Amino acid sequence: MGLEQYKGDMEMCCRCSTCKFIPMQRVSGHDFVNVCPSISRFNFHSYSGGGRLNIGAAMLRDGFQYTDRLLDIVYNCQMCGACGVSCNYAMDMEVLEPIQEFRIRCVADGKTHPALDKAIAGLRAHGSMVPPTGKRGDWAIGLGLKDATREKVDVLYHAGCLTSYDPSLQKLARATAKILQKAGVNFGIAGDAEICCGGRAYQMGYQEDFLRQARENMALIKQAGIKTVVTACAEGYQAFKVLYDKFKLRGDLEVLHISEFVDRLIQEGRLKPRKKVGLSVTYHDPCRLGRLGEPWVHWEGKKVPGDRFVFDPPKTYRRGTHGVYDPPRNVLKSLPGVTLTEMTRIKEYAWCCGAGGGVSESNPEFAQWTARERIREAESTGAEALVTACSWCEKAFDEAIRETGSALKVYDIVELVEAAIS
Amino acid sequence: MALSKDVYRAFEDVVGAEYICDDPVIMPSYHQTEFAAVLLPQNTAEVQAIIRLCNKFSLPFRPVCTGWTGKFAKGSLYLDLRRMNRIIEINEKNMYAVVEPYVISAQLQAELMKGGLHLNVKGAGSNCSAMLRGHGHLDQTTSGDDRNHLAIEWVTPAGEIVRSGSLGSSDEWFCGDGPGPSLRSILTSAVPPGVTPGVFTKAAMKVYHWPGPAKFPIQGVSPNYSLSEIPPNFMARYYSFPSVAKMFEAENKIGESEIAFELMGFNVAMVAANITTSNEEEEETFRRLSREVQGPGFFVIVAGNSAADFAYKRRVLEHIVAEAGGKSLASLEDPRLEGILLCQCIRISASIRETFRPGGMFSSIPVMGQRDLTIQWAIGAGKAKEPLIAKGLIVDDGGAFFGWGVEQGHLGKTEIFCKFDPQNPEAKAAVEAWHKEQSTRAFKERYFALLAGQDEEIGRGLSNYHIWWNEIQKELDPNRVSPEGGALV
Ligand code: SF4
Ligand code: SF4
Repeated sequence: MGLEQYKGDMEMCCRCSTCKFIPMQRVSGHDFVNVCPSISRFNFHSYSGGGRLNIGAAMLRDGFQYTDRLLDIVYNCQMCGACGVSCNYAMDMEVLEPIQEFRIRCVADGKTHPALDKAIAGLRAHGSMVPPTGKRGDWAIGLGLKDATREKVDVLYHAGCLTSYDPSLQKLARATAKILQKAGVNFGIAGDAEICCGGRAYQMGYQEDFLRQARENMALIKQAGIKTVVTACAEGYQAFKVLYDKFKLRGDLEVLHISEFVDRLIQEGRLKPRKKVGLSVTYHDPCRLGRLGEPWVHWEGKKVPGDRFVFDPPKTYRRGTHGVYDPPRNVLKSLPGVTLTEMTRIKEYAWCCGAGGGVSESNPEFAQWTARERIREAESTGAEALVTACSWCEKAFDEAIRETGSALKVYDIVELVEAAIS
Repeated sequence: MALSKDVYRAFEDVVGAEYICDDPVIMPSYHQTEFAAVLLPQNTAEVQAIIRLCNKFSLPFRPVCTGWTGKFAKGSLYLDLRRMNRIIEINEKNMYAVVEPYVISAQLQAELMKGGLHLNVKGAGSNCSAMLRGHGHLDQTTSGDDRNHLAIEWVTPAGEIVRSGSLGSSDEWFCGDGPGPSLRSILTSAVPPGVTPGVFTKAAMKVYHWPGPAKFPIQGVSPNYSLSEIPPNFMARYYSFPSVAKMFEAENKIGESEIAFELMGFNVAMVAANITTSNEEEEETFRRLSREVQGPGFFVIVAGNSAADFAYKRRVLEHIVAEAGGKSLASLEDPRLEGILLCQCIRISASIRETFRPGGMFSSIPVMGQRDLTIQWAIGAGKAKEPLIAKGLIVDDGGAFFGWGVEQGHLGKTEIFCKFDPQNPEAKAAVEAWHKEQSTRAFKERYFALLAGQDEEIGRGLSNYHIWWNEIQKELDPNRVSPEGGALV
C-alpha cells in the first residue's frame, strides 16, 4: 500500500503549522519554541511535517515529479517524529508514517542520495552502517564476555554499529559490560557475528535492506534461544522493539534499552551506585528512545464513511505518549552527586541531535547545525554536562562541541553509571 | 507563471539565494497555489525592497505568517514572514509589547506571564501571529479586533514605510492614534474587507494584567497534559441555563459586574472537543455532556488578584448564575478537567481540536453585534445545520453556535460553524450553500457579517464604505500589487 494508505491522513493536514513548534502548552518563552529541525533550518513550509504531507498528497493526486528541490526536502529531514507529536496533540492523523513512506517511494523510484547509497553499500558489504575499523567484537577484547551465539545467556547485549566500531565510543560498550558484570547479569554478545539492526537503513528509506537485517538478526536470536535483547543505542532500541514488531518479526522477544535495564537492576537492588559522581547534568531524550520508542500498535481497519476521519475499528495513534522517558531520569537521579536540570524541550517534544534520518551522512552541515542548537539549549540550563543515551547523539554532540568550543561535557548515561559503581 | 530570470535575480538580490524559491514542487505546501515564487524576507528593509520591486514589475504579493488554509491568487508572490520573529520590546510600565509578525501568541504570552502580563490570544490559536487582528476567548477582559493594536510599522503597497500613532512623532510605541498619524480606519479597521494592503512589519500590541502564575504547572505527556494544581485564586466552570434568555441575562450581568476573566459562550460540543484527545472520545463525551446540561451555556474563568478578590468574584458569579437558574456542569468540576479546560482556553485558544480534528475542515460565520439579537440569528443558522447533520454531511454538534461579549458588554461576537470532510464533494457543496444562505440572511437582517464577493451590497449598507475604500486603495496601491491585503494568520 505504501504512501497510498496515508492519502486520507495527508489530506487531513489543515496547514496550522503546529508541527513546527513544541506543543503550545509547553511553550515557555520566545526561545526554544521550534521542534522541527528541518523547517527551522530551511524555512520554506515544504520542509515542515505539514508541508511534506501537502506535497505527498499533491503527488498522489497529480503524479510524482522529482526535482532537485524535492529531493533536498526529502533528505533534509531527521525522521525524528517531533512534527507528529505536536500535530497529534490535537489532530487524529498520521504524520511521520507518510513522511517515511514518501522516502521509501523515492528510494524505490531510484531517487536516492549518493551519500546514503554509499552508507547502504557499506551495510550490504559489511553489515554495518559505519565503516569497520577492525573486527566488530574487538571492543570486548580482554573483558571475558560470553559469546551469546555459542553459550546460553539470559540477555544479549547488542552494541550496534557505531558503538562497536568508533574508537571514541567503544568505551560505552565496555562501560556497559562492566555494569552488567557488576550486577551479575548472565549476558553475552554476538561479537563479530553481530550485524546492524537495520534501523538507520529504514529511516533512510531502504526498506528492503532493513528487512534483510531484521530477518538475519531475528534468525540469530532464535537460534541462540535469546529471550531478551538489551541495546546500547536508541537506534537499535527502536529497530528491535518497534520496527521489528511493525513488520511482525519480533515475536515475543523482550527488548530493553540499556537505560531501562539499568533502571530495573537498580530498582531490584542488583546494582548499587554508591560512588559520588559530582556533576550537574541535563538530559537529552534521543528521538528513537523517547517519542519513537513508543511500542508499535497493530491496527487494520477501514475509514467509516461520513463526516469524521474515524475508522472501524477505532485507530489508536502513536502520539509519543508512551516513549521511554522516566527510566533514564530515574537512573540519573539515583547516581550520588548528580543533579539533573531539564532543558526546555524534553521527552516527547525533545529537539533532535541532528543525526537521524541519515542526515549525518546526507548533509553533515545540517546535522551539525541541529546539534549546535541542542548544545545551546543545554548550556542555557547551566549544567556542566549533557547526558544522552545513544552513541549517535553523543557523536553528534561531541562534534558540535568541538566546533563551537563549548565547555559542556557530553556523556552517555552508562559512563556515569560506571563511574558511580566502580 | 514563472518569473523571468532577470526578475527572479532582482528578488534574489534582496533576500539572498537561500530565501527565494520558485520550484513548483514546493507550491502544494503553499495553499495548493501556483505562486510565482515564495520569498522569506528577514526585516523591514527587505520587505520594502520586495514591495518596490513588485511595483516595478507589476507583481501582486501576499504576506502570510503561520498559514492555515486559504485561497490565494495564482501567479502572485508569497511573502512568508517566518524569519521576522523577534520580540522587540516588552514595556511593562506602558503595558505593550512590540513584535514582528511571526512571533506566535504562545511565545509572547509565555514571556508576558513571567512579568504578570498577558494578551488577547486570537481564536485562530496561539500557534498564530501575536499581531493578528480578530477575536479570542479573552475578549471579555482584553477586548478584540483593532482595539489591541497600538503603534504600527507598516510598509505600504507603494513601498513607503509608515509609522503610525506615537511612532510617527517619536520612537515610542505606546499609542496607535497619536501624537502622529492615526490611520486607524485604514490600518486596523474591522469593517470589510478587514485587511490592510501592504505589510505590517512591527506592531505594538496592548497587554493586560495577569493575575496568574508565571507558568502553568503542566504535567503529563502529550496529549494528556493537565495541571498539577489549579493556580491559586483561579476557577473554571461551565454553566448551562434553562433558556437562551436566561443565559444571556447571566452573561450580561457577569459583564456588568466585571468579575469574569474569560466568558466564552462555548457549547458542549466545543467543551467535549477540548477536553478529549481523539475523535472517538470526543463523540462519546459530547453525547454524555449533552445529557448533563439543561440548555445553552457558557464557560467562565474567574481569576482573583487576591484570595479576597477571588472570593468576592466567585460569590457574585454564583449569585448571578443561581438567579438565572444556571447549573454548573458537574463533570467539569473535576479538577483534572477543570485544569485542562483552563489551560486549553488560556494558552491554546482551543481552535484545532474543535475545528479541524473531526473532518479536516470547518466553515464558519462570525457575526458581530448585540449578543441577544445575534444569538437569535445563530439559532436559525443552527437549525439550518440539522438536515446536513441528519445526512451525515457535517459533524453532529447539536446545531450549536457559540460567542461571547466583548469588553464586559452586551456587544460581542456570535459564531457558528460546520465541521466536515472537504474531500467529500457533497459535504463541501452542502456546507458552501449553508454558508452563503446563512451569511446572506445575517446581512439582510442587518447583522455585521462578512460576505465574500458582495462588497457592493455591504458597502451600501455601510454608508457606501466600499466607494471610499476603493478610492483609498487607488491612492495607496496605484499598481494594485496588494489587492487582497495582508493576511497575518
Ligand atoms: S501536519 Fe498537523 S500540525 Fe502540521 S500543519 Fe498539518 S495538521 Fe497542522
Ligand atoms: S521528522 Fe523531524 S525533521 Fe522531519 S519534518 Fe518532522 S520534525 Fe521535521
